[in-house]
Amino acid sequence: MDLQYSASDRDFRQQARAWLAANVPTKRRPANGHTSAQYDRDWQRKLYEHGWAGVAWPKEYGGLGLTGLQQVIWYEEMARARAPHYINTTYVALMHAGPTLIMRGTEEQKAFHLPRILSGDALWCQGFSEPNAGSDLASLKARGTIDGDDIVVSGAKMWTTDAQHADYQELLVRTDPESHRHKGLTWIICDMKSPGIDIKPIRTMLNDEHINMVFYDDVRIPKSNVVGEIDGGWASALATLSLERGLGFIGDQLELYERVGRATDMAGKLRLEDGTLAIDDSSIRQKLAALKADALAIRAMTLADIAETDRTGQPGPKGSMMKLLVTSAHKALSELVGDMMGWDFLEFDGDRSAHPWTYDYLWSWVFSISGGTNEIQRENIADRVLHLPRAR
Amino acid sequence: MYLAPDGDELEIAQAAAGFLAEAMSIERLHGAACADMSADLRHSLGSMGWFALALPGHAGGSGLSAVEHALFFREVGRQCGPVDVLAQCLAATIVDDNALRSSIVSGDVGVALAVGDGTGLRIFGSENAAFMLQLGRDRSDLYTFKNSASEPRASLDPATSIRVSDRVPTVASSETGDRAWNLGQLGTAAMLVGIAEASLDQIVDYAKVRETFGKKIGSWQAVRHPCADMAVRLEAARAQLWFAATAMKEGRGDAGVHLDAAKYLANQAALANADTNIQLHGGIGVTDEHHAHLYLKHALVLARLFGGRREVLGRLLHAEVED
Ligand SMILES: Cc1cc2nc3c(=O)[nH]c(=O)nc-3n(C[C@H](O)[C@H](O)[C@H](O)COP(=O)(O)OP(=O)(O)OC[C@H]3O[C@@H](n4cnc5c(N)ncnc54)[C@H](O)[C@@H]3O)c2cc1C
Repeated sequence: MDLQYSASDRDFRQQARAWLAANVPTKRRPANGHTSAQYDRDWQRKLYEHGWAGVAWPKEYGGLGLTGLQQVIWYEEMARARAPHYINTTYVALMHAGPTLIMRGTEEQKAFHLPRILSGDALWCQGFSEPNAGSDLASLKARGTIDGDDIVVSGAKMWTTDAQHADYQELLVRTDPESHRHKGLTWIICDMKSPGIDIKPIRTMLNDEHINMVFYDDVRIPKSNVVGEIDGGWASALATLSLERGLGFIGDQLELYERVGRATDMAGKLRLEDGTLAIDDSSIRQKLAALKADALAIRAMTLADIAETDRTGQPGPKGSMMKLLVTSAHKALSELVGDMMGWDFLEFDGDRSAHPWTYDYLWSWVFSISGGTNEIQRENIADRVLHLPRAR
Repeated sequence: MYLAPDGDELEIAQAAAGFLAEAMSIERLHGAACADMSADLRHSLGSMGWFALALPGHAGGSGLSAVEHALFFREVGRQCGPVDVLAQCLAATIVDDNALRSSIVSGDVGVALAVGDGTGLRIFGSENAAFMLQLGRDRSDLYTFKNSASEPRASLDPATSIRVSDRVPTVASSETGDRAWNLGQLGTAAMLVGIAEASLDQIVDYAKVRETFGKKIGSWQAVRHPCADMAVRLEAARAQLWFAATAMKEGRGDAGVHLDAAKYLANQAALANADTNIQLHGGIGVTDEHHAHLYLKHALVLARLFGGRREVLGRLLHAEVED
């Protein structure tokens, strides 16, 4: 075992730190709407123009070709510099659509889409879940009928984050109407400007309009947009999901340590209702320190997992464990800060930048539901790590 | 950067696991006189060189690092090994006198662990020990131990006997600095990780064979999900343990902070996993013949040594780590 950074890792950290210190936008990200997506595109373009786009992508596709360890360094420095959060309207494109195309797309698909994703010109959304297919994704029903060179899609998708801003979608449909479960599905690139698509926003308890229901009424998509095989989309979907469940939340895992530090600083300034300084309250002190230990452990797990992946070239089965731990710690931290803030915690209008702690508290449920609920992560661990008898 | 046991480290862990399962299997704790280390066990550990594990090469040690120390004590923990094993290893590192050191390393003399309890000393470990070791964050003292001067107490943990003494003991050897303390903290954290691991393994094995309502209990979610939570707690504690051990090996300035975090997480993981292991075994889980309670009781002792929850959290709050 060793903890040594190579000279080039240390160099990379210095460069990243210096660049971020000089370039992180000072303007707050708007909470909602078109201007928020534009803000994300602008930040992505800036990263692109200065050579920082696609930290996890291979060099041959225009990425930085960073090792796993250097990605860890990048996200640590992003957290330290308080850079715009990486889970924004560019997230799906950069963290799973692009990488899925790299693994399973055709040369034409890669040549067209990858540069657009990196530069922030193309935003993507994920159209997997349906009203009756969330955890049980293999039960999805949206239909794709083969018609000559096209696939004609009808049906509905649910929970599609940022569909209203997206240029393209990772769309999973049932192309074989006779098929059961995961057989007979197809993964298609859907142009969100295609005729027949109707997007209905769903307001969340966070008071925002990030998620949508998307309706497809005979939407024609050329067969050349299929990623992987027709009727063989489950393999591509698994590739996408493994990216999402593996290191898809790496930034949050590493950011937690910074956030505990910010909460501790805050406890040094805030007075509780009875006038005690929050940091002088022994229960608050102990909970903060316990969360700090959790944050260190999550970082150690991330580093261990990344080193293993760098070595074997395969992500391990630990993603579910890290997601479970980071979502629980995230919620516990928000609750603790809520205790410290007292009445002020109740002031919230949906603006993440203006009310970060309250937003994060509400977000903690999204975090533990989207990308696979905590219960489903426990199922994954029981099956794939502990090899317990199958429940399903 | 690589944070999992590797190469020679794995071989040492396997050798330790094999040896300890023979020499001091947890089964021994179901026997009549079970607590602590017998003179025979001490000699056999000594003859294999395990007490010299943390000793530097120039002092006759194996020249291995904190990483191997952690790997060994994780295996000791899996068998609910006596606290004496740790005291013996640490005593060897603070003794200057060559003759005394080699009799500790060979297991010819025994060392118990002493902790100040406000009024006197609380002594954990063998009544046939000739010495006892008291460790602090800035100094370690090895005392000559007169068994007649101590009074036996009832002990919750079959793997650890407890005595108290109010006599001022005679110092045999001392060292300033935190090296021995850190190795002690690492060793106890590792034993607790071993307990957390053994508890998880035990319930996973049982969940694959025990049936209720016509199904293996491991297929019920009310069993699967707590098992998954045990695995997550263990994984966090183990990853942090490797981090702390490696930070010590490399002499990083923030090793103490990582040790505190590792000890806290190991305390929590061992206690919570021991708890869930008993619960998910049903009735058999509360019987004396089962191992489940042994893990819990030993974890209760180890969780208080070298930094209980409140103490380590108190230090962690404002501690700074390096990149
Ligand atoms: C804010 C937000 C954004 C999202 N963004 C997207 C997106 O962009 N694209 C997309 O495709 N999807 C998205 N999702 C969908 C998300 O992946 C699903 O909501 C999630 O997988 C859960 O599915 P469900 O809502 O249908 O719940 P259900 O599957 O109906 O589950 C209901 C409850 O039952 C539990 N449960 C279900 N099955 C089991 C089981 N086998 N064992 C134990 N417990 C079980 C669940 O944990 C949950 O508590 C988003 C969700 C949210 C909340």
